[in-house]
Amino acid sequence: MSTTATVLSQPRPRSWPRILPRVAPGLLLTLFGLLGPLLAPHALDQPITAPYAAPDGSAVLGGDQLGRDVLSRLLHGGGALIGSALAVALIVTALATVLGCFAVLSPTLGRWAERTADIAILLPPVLGVMLIALAWPGGGRLAVIAAAIALGTPYAVRVIASAAAPLTASGFIEAATASGEHLSHLALRELLPNLRSTVLALFGLRFVEAVYVISMAGFLQLGPQPPAADWALMIRENAPGILLNPWAVVAPSIAIGLLAVSVNLAADALAPTTAGRAVTTR
Amino acid sequence: MSETALEGAFTPSVLHRATVVCGRVALLLAKRVLMLFVLLAVVFAAIQLLPGDAASATSDRGESAADIAARRHQLGLDRPVWIRFWEWITALPTGNLGTSARGQRVTDLLSAPFPNTILLGGTAFALTVVAALALGCWAAARPGGVVDRVIGLASTAAFALPEFVVSVGLLLALSLWTGWLPAATTTSADGSPASWTMLVMPVLALAVPQTGWNTRVVRAALTDQAKAPHVEAAHLDGLPSRRILLRHQLPGALPAIATGIATSTGMLLGGAVVVETLFNYPGIGTVLAGAIGDRDTPVIAGVVACAGAVISLVLLLADLIRARTLGARP
Repeated sequence: MSTTATVLSQPRPRSWPRILPRVAPGLLLTLFGLLGPLLAPHALDQPITAPYAAPDGSAVLGGDQLGRDVLSRLLHGGGALIGSALAVALIVTALATVLGCFAVLSPTLGRWAERTADIAILLPPVLGVMLIALAWPGGGRLAVIAAAIALGTPYAVRVIASAAAPLTASGFIEAATASGEHLSHLALRELLPNLRSTVLALFGLRFVEAVYVISMAGFLQLGPQPPAADWALMIRENAPGILLNPWAVVAPSIAIGLLAVSVNLAADALAPTTAGRAVTTR
Repeated sequence: MSETALEGAFTPSVLHRATVVCGRVALLLAKRVLMLFVLLAVVFAAIQLLPGDAASATSDRGESAADIAARRHQLGLDRPVWIRFWEWITALPTGNLGTSARGQRVTDLLSAPFPNTILLGGTAFALTVVAALALGCWAAARPGGVVDRVIGLASTAAFALPEFVVSVGLLLALSLWTGWLPAATTTSADGSPASWTMLVMPVLALAVPQTGWNTRVVRAALTDQAKAPHVEAAHLDGLPSRRILLRHQLPGALPAIATGIATSTGMLLGGAVVVETLFNYPGIGTVLAGAIGDRDTPVIAGVVACAGAVISLVLLLADLIRARTLGARP
C-alpha cells in the first residue's frame, strides 16, 4: 500500500569543502532576507512615486500599485516569510524525528503514522491551508504556520521512519532491546543519534516545502494582510500593473525563486551519502 | 480440438484468475474509498469545530441575532453535527454536494469550473508524466555523465519553485516580451477557455515544478533497478544499454515511478488553484476565493471531496500498476 519516495540523493563522497559552496548561497540569502529591513532606503508604507512608476534615481526598482518604493518593500518582505518557514521546518523536523523514531519501533504507532500519511496525501496543501485559515479568521501568519505544520508532519514522519527502519534490525538496537531498555530510551538515545544526516536533509526539504506553502498562502492573501510587505503578496498586488512596472512583480518573484532554489540545492548537498535505496518500496 | 474441450480446459482457471483479479481490485478500491471517507469526516468535523458559521458570515449588516438564528435553522445548522455529516456523505455518491451558504446547489456552482480545472490539471499531468519519464531515462542512460548532472541540477532547482513564480517568468517571456500568447484567459459562451493557446502557460507553470520532482523519482527508481540481478545479467550478456534501460530497468522501476507521480496529483490540483488566479482561468480557484470570503463551508467541503476523489482515483491507478507488476513477479 505504502510507497515512500524519499528522493534524497545519490551516494557521493561528502566533505565540508565540497558542501560549503552549495550551502553558502542558501545561508547568505536567508541572512539577507532577515537583515533586509535594516537596509531599506524608504519607509514601508509611504507613497514616494506615482503608482507603477518606472524605475528612476530615487526608486531603483520603481513604485508599486500605490506608488510605494518596490526596493524597500522587497527588503522588508522576506524576513517574515523566511522566519516562518524556518519555524515550520524546525517544528516539523523535530516532531517528525521523534514520532518517526517511535513509529518504527512500535508497530501500532507505525500503522497509525502510515494511515495518517496516506489520508493526508488526499488533501492538496493549498486546500488544507485554506481550511485552516478559514477555521481561524484573523489568525494571519500564525494560521498559515499551523497549517503548514499540520500538513507537513505526516509525510515527514514517514521519511524518518523509512530511514530508521534498516537501523532497527541492526545489532545495537537488538542488544538494547534484549537488555530491556524502555521504548523512549531506544527511540531517543539509540536510534535518533544515528539519523543525523537524514534529519539534516529533511530539515532542508521541509524548509523548501514551507517556503512553498507559506508563499502560496501569501499569494492567495490568506496569511499576511495589506499593507504588510510580503514577497508573495507583492506579486499578487502588483500583477495588474506588470506592463507599467514589471519590476514590482519580477523582483519579488526572483527573490522567492532564488530563496527556494538555493535552499533546495543546499538541502540536496546535505542529504545523507548513505541513502542506500533512494526509493523505498514496501 | 472441439469447442467443448476448450471450455473444459480453460474455463475454471480463467474464471478463478478473473475472480482473484477482481477481488484484488475491489480490495484496493475499498481501501481508497475508506481513506477518502476518513478524510472527509476529519475535514467536516474540523469545519464544524470552528468559531462562527456560514449563517453569520453571509449575514448582511444590521441583521439581528434572531434573523441569523432563523437562517441557521433554514440552513439546517442547528442540528447535530453527525446527522448533517451523514446526510452530506450519503448524498455525495448521487452527485449532490449540498447547498451553499447562499442557497445555491454546490453541484451547480462547481459543474462549470471543475471540468476546466480537470482539463488544466490533466494536461499538466500528462505532460509531467511524459517529460519526467523522458528526462529521467535520459539522465539514467549514462549515470554521472554531463547530461545526468545537468538534469539533476535543473530538476532540483525546478521542484523548489512555486507555480506562481514560474507563471510570472512565463508571462514575461512568452507574453509581454514576445507577444506570442495571451496573458489572460477569456472564456467563450459556455464558460470554457476560448482558445487552446490560453492553456499553454498555465499548463507549463504547473508542469515545470512537478516535472522537476518526478524526474528525480524516475532517476532514483531506475538507479535502484540498476543493481537488480537480472539487469546485471543483461549487461554481462552484452545487450545494448538503451535496450537494458527500457526493457529491463524501466518495468521494474514502474511501481515506484507510478506511486511517485500519483502523489503529485494533489500538488497539481493545489497549484492549479493558484495558477488559475494569476491567469484569470475559469476554474475552481475563482469559486474557492469567493467561498473563503463567505466562510462557505459546503462549497469548500465539496471542492475537497472532488479533489480527494480525483487524487484517490489516480492513487488507485498507481495501486493497480503496483499490484500488476509485483503480482507478476512475486
